Amino acid sequence: MKSATQPVTARSFWNDTGRTGITSWIFSTDHKRIGFLYFYSVLAFFLVGMTLGGLLRIELMAPGRTIVGPQTYNALFTVHGVVMIFLFIIPAFPGAFGNLIMPIQIGARDVAFPRLNLLSWWFYILGAAIIIISLFTGNGPPDTGWTFYLPFSERTSTNVSLAVFGVFIVGFSSILTGINFVTTIHQLRAEGMTWGRLPLFVWSLYATAWVQILATPILAITLALIIAERLLGAGLFDPGRGGDPLMYQHLFWIYSHPAVYIMILPAMGAITEIIPVFSRKPIFGYKMIAFSGIAIASAGSLVWGHHMFTSGMSDTAVLVFSFLTFVVAIPSAIKVFNWVSTLYKGSISLEAPMLFALSFILLFSIGGLTGLILGAAATNVHVHDTHFVVGHFHYVMFGGTAFAFFGAMHYWLPKFYGRRYAEKPALVAWALMFVGFNITYFSMMLLGVKGMPRRYYDYLPEFAPLNLVSTVGSWILISGVIVLLANLFYGLWKGERIGNNPWGGASLEWTISSPPPTENFSEDPIVTHGPYDFSKAGMP
Amino acid sequence: MIQLVFQFFKIAVLLFVLPGVAYASVEQLPAHQHAAMVPSVAEVSQIGLTERLGEKLPLDLIFRDENGKPIRLGELITGPTIISPVYYKCTNVCNFLQGGLAGVLPAVKRKPAEDYRVLSVSFDETETPALASKYKRIYLDAMNAPFPEDGWRFLTGDLDNIHRLTDAIGYRFVRQGEEFIHPVASVVVARDGTIVRYFYGTTFLPKDIALALLEANEGKVGASIRTVVGYCFSFDPLGKTYVFNLMRVSATVVILCTGAFLFYLILTGRKRKHPRKET
Repeated sequence: MKSATQPVTARSFWNDTGRTGITSWIFSTDHKRIGFLYFYSVLAFFLVGMTLGGLLRIELMAPGRTIVGPQTYNALFTVHGVVMIFLFIIPAFPGAFGNLIMPIQIGARDVAFPRLNLLSWWFYILGAAIIIISLFTGNGPPDTGWTFYLPFSERTSTNVSLAVFGVFIVGFSSILTGINFVTTIHQLRAEGMTWGRLPLFVWSLYATAWVQILATPILAITLALIIAERLLGAGLFDPGRGGDPLMYQHLFWIYSHPAVYIMILPAMGAITEIIPVFSRKPIFGYKMIAFSGIAIASAGSLVWGHHMFTSGMSDTAVLVFSFLTFVVAIPSAIKVFNWVSTLYKGSISLEAPMLFALSFILLFSIGGLTGLILGAAATNVHVHDTHFVVGHFHYVMFGGTAFAFFGAMHYWLPKFYGRRYAEKPALVAWALMFVGFNITYFSMMLLGVKGMPRRYYDYLPEFAPLNLVSTVGSWILISGVIVLLANLFYGLWKGERIGNNPWGGASLEWTISSPPPTENFSEDPIVTHGPYDFSKAGMP
Repeated sequence: MIQLVFQFFKIAVLLFVLPGVAYASVEQLPAHQHAAMVPSVAEVSQIGLTERLGEKLPLDLIFRDENGKPIRLGELITGPTIISPVYYKCTNVCNFLQGGLAGVLPAVKRKPAEDYRVLSVSFDETETPALASKYKRIYLDAMNAPFPEDGWRFLTGDLDNIHRLTDAIGYRFVRQGEEFIHPVASVVVARDGTIVRYFYGTTFLPKDIALALLEANEGKVGASIRTVVGYCFSFDPLGKTYVFNLMRVSATVVILCTGAFLFYLILTGRKRKHPRKET
């Protein structure tokens, strides 16, 4: 893979391995190599998902049939959702940057269970392969939406069983990563790396890992029940045979809402690393940020019912779930206020990682606040299942997690390649993405308020102008992504060489050489200061 | 975990191969209609079953036992008790119902007469103890296993006592000449006469019987393992059968395992590192 093109001056994890070629990657137990396996896998699936999303937008550019028919459209948005959620955004941070960075940040040589770590990637790839096979076999790709709602997912003739089985397998990968990270953070911290000196990215991965451990088994059970329903006709969700269709939605969202926090928490952790470094100022409210991550993970596990306000739950349940949804806003706001307070009177340097971090704050805030509109029972009824929801979660997931992911790529990847990207094209890419993003998804929210439903391939003529605007926005967004990737990877390949600490960070990954050696530290570090004590940057 | 899932599938498959019985609802099976009997609309509305869960049966009702001796209901309901309203001359479902009981009772791992009792109660006031005794012989013989005489009693009674019992159960039937139109159901009561469960249809699963008896025994719970079983299985009022409560069990298992995991991690703390390999 990359090792062939990697200019390496000293022994590093790129060349210091017993194996050569592809086997040095797919059988490696080095956390950095597994991190890159994850990174390139999720990036590939992001590009697949982005292409499908682009096709969806082209179809919606004008009313009526534009490029595909209704059945193909159903399949497109289903596969776009499944790929983006299960194959990109859930494994993106824990799998890629969690693996690459977390062990170094706590001063460890590797994760606690390196072979389990490799197994988790294998599960991920196996599940992904099954999902892809499901697209081209049987009666065509699934057309249920990524939520696989009953009763349609039981009755549709498309290849739902196989796709669901693939997602089931990917779930195991997530659980294994969670167990591995929790154990690593508890047991493998370097001497002096107390809980109060853990970088906040590690704290966020810790909270995320518990959600992965606790919530993912429920998804596995739920998916097994769909398969039981389809293959055995168990009747669990069929009221005609004593089942309960609402039970499926409960089970599905008991996992899938906490999964939103699997996606967003480590992204918040990453920008919590970027903001103090580019403000040249210690993080404001370390303890509150660490605590609010745990609070989001806990409270976020109790709010799933807000996806079901119009499904026929009791009014009491609606009230309670609505209230708890508002409770989650509190720790989220604590984080936003702490980031902003960190910026206050800082010496802000607007380089690419920082621009992505700052746009994260803005876009996540828009996504979060529109989430409250959806979390309030009364307004939810009005905009339920409209494009408002689509706009909202893209603000949180793309504007939040994916922007943080691109920021993290600019911030941390140079460490692993020993070279950096060119700044100006990176700024152009960021600007294109930021503008394109807002045009694409803000239009969707406006359309939703006007009443355009989601998941329809056709619409009334009055929605045409905003749909056209949104589609043009998606072109700007996609062109931004292309510029970004081209500039970043060209830079990592041929760009300017960097030293150990190009950004002036104070956490442990900036004390070792770029690229890092195989076991990270030439001798086990003894940590003497916190991760945001910039007066001691570059020292362990 | 795998075993739990497997257990679930087993039950799911069982449910699938026993259709109609497990899922039949009150409204769907009020009557067994003999070919000659076509009940009028007014009659159909009088037939059926209204569940009176948690209510108490009057224990002072007097019936006649197989020997014609009057006996108080309270003398027979000395523990968990299954009561099946039938009439012995019935040529159809009552036979199936009692045949179903005869088939399943030997498989229920509780001691009849000591741990529980079964009562067949005729709602035909013209039937005699001699007839009851004859049918008792038939069903006890059909069991192909020793079963105490006192474990399954066959009662007859007068119209007043019959109606007070069936009204208390919520069981409504109509006479049509020599025959009856009636629901096919049994009821499980606790020692104090509290109605604990209804069973519908003519086929029973041993686990359903055992769990209902366990519930009826509440307050005087037996071995602790039984309690655990009672927790894992809860009654599904729509399916009318005990379903394995997968959700509750798996949630408990997941939470216990992760709790133990966290406890272990906190207990062991930071690990001492092995010395580095010389490079």
